[in-house]
Amino acid sequence: MSGPLYLASRYLRHHWGKTAILVGSITLIVFLPAGLRVLVGQSADALTARADATPLLVGARGSALELALASLYFEGEPPEPTTWAQVDRLGATGLARAIPLHLGFRAREHPIVGTTLAYLDFRGLRVAAGRRMAVLGECLLGAAAARDLGLGPGDSLVSSPETVFDLAGVYPLKMQVVGVLAPAHTPDDRAVFVDMKTAWILQGLGHGHQDLTAPGASRAVLAREGDRVTANASLVQYNEITPENAGSFHFHGDLSGYPISAVVAVPPDEKSRALLRGRFEAPDETQQVLRPRQVIDELLATVFAVQSYVVAAIATVAAGTLATAGLVFLLSARLRRREIDTMVKIGAARSFVAGVLAAEVIVVLLLGAALAAGLTGLASRFGADAIRTFLVS
Amino acid sequence: MRRALLAAALLAFGCGAADEPAAPAADAGDGRLLVYTVNEPLAYFARRIGGDAVDVRFPAPPDVDPALWSPPPETVAAYQEADVILRNGAGYAAWIARATLPADALVDTSAGFADRLLPVEGAVTHQHGPAGEHSHAGTAFTTWLDPTLAVQQARAVAEAIAAQQPERASELAANLAALEADLLELDARLAKAALVLAGRPLLFSHPVYQYLQHRYGLNARSLHWEPDETPDTKAWRELEAVLAEHPARLLLWEAEPLPEARTRLEKLGLRSVVFDPGSRRPATGDWLSVMQANVERLESALLRER
Repeated sequence: MSGPLYLASRYLRHHWGKTAILVGSITLIVFLPAGLRVLVGQSADALTARADATPLLVGARGSALELALASLYFEGEPPEPTTWAQVDRLGATGLARAIPLHLGFRAREHPIVGTTLAYLDFRGLRVAAGRRMAVLGECLLGAAAARDLGLGPGDSLVSSPETVFDLAGVYPLKMQVVGVLAPAHTPDDRAVFVDMKTAWILQGLGHGHQDLTAPGASRAVLAREGDRVTANASLVQYNEITPENAGSFHFHGDLSGYPISAVVAVPPDEKSRALLRGRFEAPDETQQVLRPRQVIDELLATVFAVQSYVVAAIATVAAGTLATAGLVFLLSARLRRREIDTMVKIGAARSFVAGVLAAEVIVVLLLGAALAAGLTGLASRFGADAIRTFLVS
Repeated sequence: MRRALLAAALLAFGCGAADEPAAPAADAGDGRLLVYTVNEPLAYFARRIGGDAVDVRFPAPPDVDPALWSPPPETVAAYQEADVILRNGAGYAAWIARATLPADALVDTSAGFADRLLPVEGAVTHQHGPAGEHSHAGTAFTTWLDPTLAVQQARAVAEAIAAQQPERASELAANLAALEADLLELDARLAKAALVLAGRPLLFSHPVYQYLQHRYGLNARSLHWEPDETPDTKAWRELEAVLAEHPARLLLWEAEPLPEARTRLEKLGLRSVVFDPGSRRPATGDWLSVMQANVERLESALLRER
């Protein structure tokens, strides 16, 4: 190690408190804009990749942003419900494959996504253990959901109650876990997938109960008039679907009127996409069709605008911090006047002394920059998970 | 501001995504079209029309009525792998409504004649909770017992296979034509038998012959007798009451009745004739041979009646 560098390092080590504060300040002013840029860039890539992979979304007229966010990332409030008739309508056009989504229910903090097998194929979700859901009451866990819940095939999972104090409301359903998906590194990892019909049972639209014509159900019968039976509240309704009671589960009315949250429409080509969008442009149309990429781009434009304000603020703070650091070095040099004079008296050249002082500044700057680079690297690797954990908790 | 906060939260949630992988190709197995069905008639139609290029599977055990069968989840998972799943429709195989099956593969073979489906009488309407009044009423589902409806179902099967194998269109059309000819021959023979019956009363052991009755205008009533069970005293009393109003000489059974039942029926002047609906996999022969045997038994019983 050369003389000036050796003396500078000894000085910085001796005054470790001052050195730590200076290095810390430099680290922060370098890391904040760099880390923010990395996080925003990385997250924006992830958001747009998901949006790009979803050609069109169809849902009830209302907030396009809510529809896109709920359907793509299973976050936020579920959009205004539409009906299964839209799935049939899209299918009938022959212009797109229609994949329904039913959102809004949760199992602990994980979203329960009601859909069809087509969704798993469309997203390329592969079963890592067990199998796909096959009958009512079965569920398939995303990789992160399985890890967080500590569940696997053969275990059971209870949906979170939606109406704790509503005695006539929707009760939790005990679901059988039949499979776990391989990690996809998308919001699908956090989801609990069920069949649409299981989702409707969660919503209380399908149910299983005692056979009202069976002798054992007589206590639940209020009135029997010809082929008409009226039951009271003691009628046993099942909150778990088992092979024994599965046959009693049923749905009433026309399924085309049953609620869904959105439909992912997958047209085979650009022409079909354009034609399909045209079908939803009538003035009296009750549904909206949107390109998720367009919605997410608008959202990201807002994010980048906010980011530029934040970066400008950080730059101002950085300028102030650098000025303060410069002042610290100047004052430090003045306070060290006797030390510098001693160095000159024992034969050190002025340039040597200047070298020592410059080495101190350079070492502090380099240490701060190196630490900022390390933190930025960590942010790119773990930052999103850390923020996600913070927000969830 | 709310929009920005929401965006920031979502940016965090959206992190870590990789490129979306492509959807996996359908499991073609040995390269043949994989077709699953819910009963034997549809399996037979698919085999006749599709030939060797189609792998037809009907996994219900032969000792179980496929209409009431509920496959275990593992079997449903096997159905999920099919390229085509042939449903009978008309409420047949209620398990389908409780199963997760690929909508793209499902084909309702009776959808083309929904207006000709026959309602089941005597359904119970009930009411409980806020959902209001509802009924579990259904439709009669042994549609293929009307050969003209069977022809329409066969056409739906052909269309479903042709959609997957368009290059075989002419071969499939020829196979369908041959099958239609066989079905229409059955129809002609049954129509002739109905002419011989000439409106005379007839009994069915079970209410599964609605489409046969409707197609040929049969003057028939249904009992609720099982061929493998000995009718109890109440059942015999009810039969006598029915015969007093509806003096039938023939009773059509889904399967061979117990010998003691057959003998006692003969003492009442009722001849037992097996008319197997053919919904299960036959021990020998195929569905068409089962139906032809039905017609032969009916023809021979009518000859004896003369």
